[in-house]
Amino acid sequence: GAAELELLERLLGLPAGNKYGVQGERKVPVLQTNNGPGLTGLMTIAAHLVRQAKKDQLLGSTAEEKAVVQQWLEYRVTRVNGGSSKEDTRLILKDLNMHLEDKVYLAGNIFTLADILMYYGLHHIMVDLTVQEKEKYLNVSRWFNHIQHYPGVRQHLSNVIFIKNRLYTNAH
Amino acid sequence: MGFGDLKSASGLRVLNDFLADRSYIEGYVPSQADIAVFEAIASPPPADLFHALRWYNHIKSYEKQKASLPGVKKALGKYGPADVEDTTGAATDSKDDDDIDLFGSDDEEESEEAKKLREERLAQYESKKSKKPAVVAKSSILLDVKPWDDETDMAKLEECVRSIQADGLVWGSSKLVPVGYGIKKLQIQCVVEDDKVGTDMLEERITAFEDYVQSMDVAAFNKI
Repeated sequence: GAAELELLERLLGLPAGNKYGVQGERKVPVLQTNNGPGLTGLMTIAAHLVRQAKKDQLLGSTAEEKAVVQQWLEYRVTRVNGGSSKEDTRLILKDLNMHLEDKVYLAGNIFTLADILMYYGLHHIMVDLTVQEKEKYLNVSRWFNHIQHYPGVRQHLSNVIFIKNRLYTNAH
Repeated sequence: MGFGDLKSASGLRVLNDFLADRSYIEGYVPSQADIAVFEAIASPPPADLFHALRWYNHIKSYEKQKASLPGVKKALGKYGPADVEDTTGAATDSKDDDDIDLFGSDDEEESEEAKKLREERLAQYESKKSKKPAVVAKSSILLDVKPWDDETDMAKLEECVRSIQADGLVWGSSKLVPVGYGIKKLQIQCVVEDDKVGTDMLEERITAFEDYVQSMDVAAFNKI
């Protein structure tokens, strides 16, 4: 929620100082602005910050890329939040693992806001996965390991370890 | 280190396994390491080696920037899983056709002389390689071109087909094959560069000769 947005601000190189609040039961983040009611919603505020930092390419360049970025941002906001059940988590990892089979980033060949927010959203899940689970969702592990090494992304979050030599699977 | 022979299925499998949990050959950004391995692969890996294919398509998207990627290209034997034996190593075995020793073996202790010799050969390989044109994916296609009837001038038909010129298209030998009722079809070979010429384009241009050509089919299609 709000913590992620602060991480995002730093990643984007924006000066600190934005004020964030939360709204309602589901703790939806709100950005207080100088005039008016403020901006509500993780996706909305994140996209706004990206544009403020003039890094629009993080939202995708072609129409198709932009759509894919939006798709995964929507997925992140509707499916991945603090209160996911075990079953929800399993489905999320399965979806992502399938999607990432032939892609390096969520949007294909470019790093976008979708990767950033999905990383922050998944961190607490990935931290708790067993070695066997990390191997099971091999593509998610590969992608997560890649994103956490991307300059500026991880910041103070813990580094999730992925063992290089696979213990459980030989072939796919 | 090394992947074995990247032009063989077994080498590609080693690469595929290596890339299962990695986005790049070295580190977390595309570098000359990726370019070195990319250039060693003749054509896109098959769909069942999907990690290698994912990596291949991703690196391909950096085609235009490849000169500016970080790092220095090293011999292929320096990349890849540490526990794979460098089968392309120096040693005393004779290699197939290459008389250049491509990949020095890291494991053994090298005497000064051996090191110098290896370096010399590496330099020779680099210069030899830079003169060779890049490997391009090509296919050999056999086309069946059918005329309207037995009165069609087959010599003229062949002339029309051969007149079709395109970058990446080379016409080969041809023959006339009887199909019945006195009608003969023209069977003609061609070699195309996959990126530049496709069968759709060939069909369009051949069937454009409406006076002579009734239809065109692909009789055989082989990757070379």
